[in-house]
Amino acid sequence: MTFLLLITLSLLFVYALYFAAQTARIQSSPKDFLDGGMTLPGWSVMFILPAIGVAALGVERHFLLVANYGLQASHVAVGLITVAIAAVMLWNRLWVATRLAGLCTPGEAIGRYYNSIALRVIFMGLCILFALPYSANLLSQAALLLQQATSGTIPREMGVWIFAVSMAIPAIIGGWRAVVLVLAMEALLIAILIPGITLFGEIVLTGDIFPTQPMPVEDGVFWDRIPGVLQGYAGFGKSVPVGGIFTAVAISSTGISLVGIVLSPATLYLGQTTLKGNAFGIGAVWLTSGLAAGIMLLVVPVLAARMPAGLFSHAESLAAVVPLAGVSVILLGVMGALFAISFFVTGGALLVFRELVHTYLYPNLTDKGQRLGARISLGFGFFLLGLMAAFMPYVSAVFASVALPLALQLLPAMVGFTFMRWISRGAVLAGIALGSLLVVFTEPLGLIIFEGLFVDLPWGRWPLTIHSAGWGLAINLLIVFLSSVATLRGPDMYQRSRFHRAMKAHPPASAKRSGLLWGLAILWGFLAYGPGAVLGNFFFSDPIFTDLKSVMGVPSLWVWQMLFWLFGVVLVWWVSYSVGFGRTQEVTGKPMRIGMPRATRSPDWISSGLSRVVNRGGDASADDPNQTSVRLLLPDLESKEPAVKPGRGKTRYG
Amino acid sequence: MAEDNQSSKTDRLSRHGLVMALWAPAIFVAAVLFHAGYLYAANWWFVGAFTALVLAFCAHIIVNVVSKTGFTEGEVALGSVILVCLTVVYLITILTAPNASVERLIIPVGLGLGALVVFVAVSMVISFGPRRAFEKFDIIRDNNLRKASHLTHRGGRR
Repeated sequence: MTFLLLITLSLLFVYALYFAAQTARIQSSPKDFLDGGMTLPGWSVMFILPAIGVAALGVERHFLLVANYGLQASHVAVGLITVAIAAVMLWNRLWVATRLAGLCTPGEAIGRYYNSIALRVIFMGLCILFALPYSANLLSQAALLLQQATSGTIPREMGVWIFAVSMAIPAIIGGWRAVVLVLAMEALLIAILIPGITLFGEIVLTGDIFPTQPMPVEDGVFWDRIPGVLQGYAGFGKSVPVGGIFTAVAISSTGISLVGIVLSPATLYLGQTTLKGNAFGIGAVWLTSGLAAGIMLLVVPVLAARMPAGLFSHAESLAAVVPLAGVSVILLGVMGALFAISFFVTGGALLVFRELVHTYLYPNLTDKGQRLGARISLGFGFFLLGLMAAFMPYVSAVFASVALPLALQLLPAMVGFTFMRWISRGAVLAGIALGSLLVVFTEPLGLIIFEGLFVDLPWGRWPLTIHSAGWGLAINLLIVFLSSVATLRGPDMYQRSRFHRAMKAHPPASAKRSGLLWGLAILWGFLAYGPGAVLGNFFFSDPIFTDLKSVMGVPSLWVWQMLFWLFGVVLVWWVSYSVGFGRTQEVTGKPMRIGMPRATRSPDWISSGLSRVVNRGGDASADDPNQTSVRLLLPDLESKEPAVKPGRGKTRYG
Repeated sequence: MAEDNQSSKTDRLSRHGLVMALWAPAIFVAAVLFHAGYLYAANWWFVGAFTALVLAFCAHIIVNVVSKTGFTEGEVALGSVILVCLTVVYLITILTAPNASVERLIIPVGLGLGALVVFVAVSMVISFGPRRAFEKFDIIRDNNLRKASHLTHRGGRR
């Protein structure tokens, strides 16, 4: 199996290299390297969106959870429908705003809309969080799988560097477009491999397992039902929940946490840089909520039941029959991780370059300079990724756990940007601060640090079976709503209203449909993965409207999942086509300007710091008046626009 | 003009990316199934392998229709070369392999390759009509160097 696996992985690398070279050949403007000329083909985004959703679940991780907890863990995949709804709505509005106001990155969009550098910094932080610890954790796991599959021929550390280099080279050569084209193929391969491996295993392997037999979980775990709406337990590491961790509230909060992947900067950037068309709708309706959610809900339980000890054991059993089939199983695990890594590291490195280096350090870079800078950033990004994955796997795992929930804390900011003009900057920042604090202290990151430094906390990870994202988002929304009420007439309301009026000129929807839509969405959410989901435990096996028992041969919860998956597809279809978020059209008219104009020079503290490092022999800029940096004060950038009196050389505020 | 040229290059790359994204997984699946068929000596695996290729071919045609293009010269050349190579390998295998292998492979692989050829021919007839489909293979008339042969009323097509 080792030889076949290495050949297959090499072919993947050659494929990526081929497209990187092809893309590099046709790029007329060097700037296209960073954003694909804002014309990424719609089909690639269609394929990538469902794979991003699956990456949020984590291929190998989700299989293990389903193998250990049964259908209650599988139920989390209903969250992919929420991912589809969030993606299609946020992408659509962000796409329009990007064309309307000439915005380059999601950080710039949010930062300029709220007139806040702090929000840009938060976006950059998220870029780094997804590009380094989150991806490093995945890379470490993929390399571990490779080590197992090759019987130690390729140790984990070596695997980490092989993968990092093999992803870095195509990204450095071809840039954003090349990576997206390659990822689209990988997404399609993942979509084929999951059902393909399941079907193959059912044909060639002996023994009846799920659904004809119960799933092989540990004693005390309810594999075929949800263990209640909520459980009064202190959290992982403090006590053990009865019947399993995935209560209805755990499922809903975990499902909602998946939306964090849509709010990750790289995913938003993907939506921003797409060509106009129907890609958002097709990707969200048919491929994410239809295909991906269907596969995860219907196929994965069957597959996971055959791999209680993980992917590798299943690969071994298939390889004993057909070696190439064993390779497919390993390939599925490895590619599920490599897909997310390549996407987040490339997107993250490009965004950090644009947000930090190009905006603040070297604002006057030429197009070729930008391309060079982006290539260097990509090189650094993949190098740091390799370092973290090879030498800090545990640190990466701890930090990776907060990536999705922290990204979800940006939801009010994005909703304010796209739909609700009354959400103010102060409210958003306060909500993010408190929400993030709650996330950190309900995940290992905060718990380990606090308990190591001070005293033991009475709660563990995910207390009351509520995911950290749920804790954070609840307090975040509360703060945002309360603060926004107090700041309804804030000084920045004018700009926000102006922006939303311009956005309304490119509407996706009619208000009547939206009202009904939200009502149905809440009802669907309540029954699909909210507290109402517990009805599915016995609804079809012991119907409440008759004394008769139904004999279906499959668990009632599985049927419930199928039913609400289908309803969910209809819901996403409604959002995308009937309401119209699934289409994007040419944005015409005069471009508008929001927030502070783009700086053409670095802030003085940055440029003086840079000149100290670069010009060790003395301050060269002192002799050249053109090189003197502009005096810009950070608090003023965030709040007030400076009013400069011509010819006086003084700056007044107020 | 330069922008149009660039845009068409980008469009060509996008189409190429889509076509490759469809064919690459299909070929991998076909390889796995072919491997299973070879090891298991069961014909259904071969049917599955060739079905994967046929599905990829159908998807390619759909891409052509949606993007309002046809098969490029490179694609036709690559497809023809691969098909010819596979046929040659198949014939060499029949001539040189042990009897047991030949008995196992001759019918399913031969039928599969034949089915691919038939499928290509049928798709051409559907796409172009019988006459134009036949003209695609009419090399002799293309090789007529006389200028008069280009005239439409003399059957010229160029």
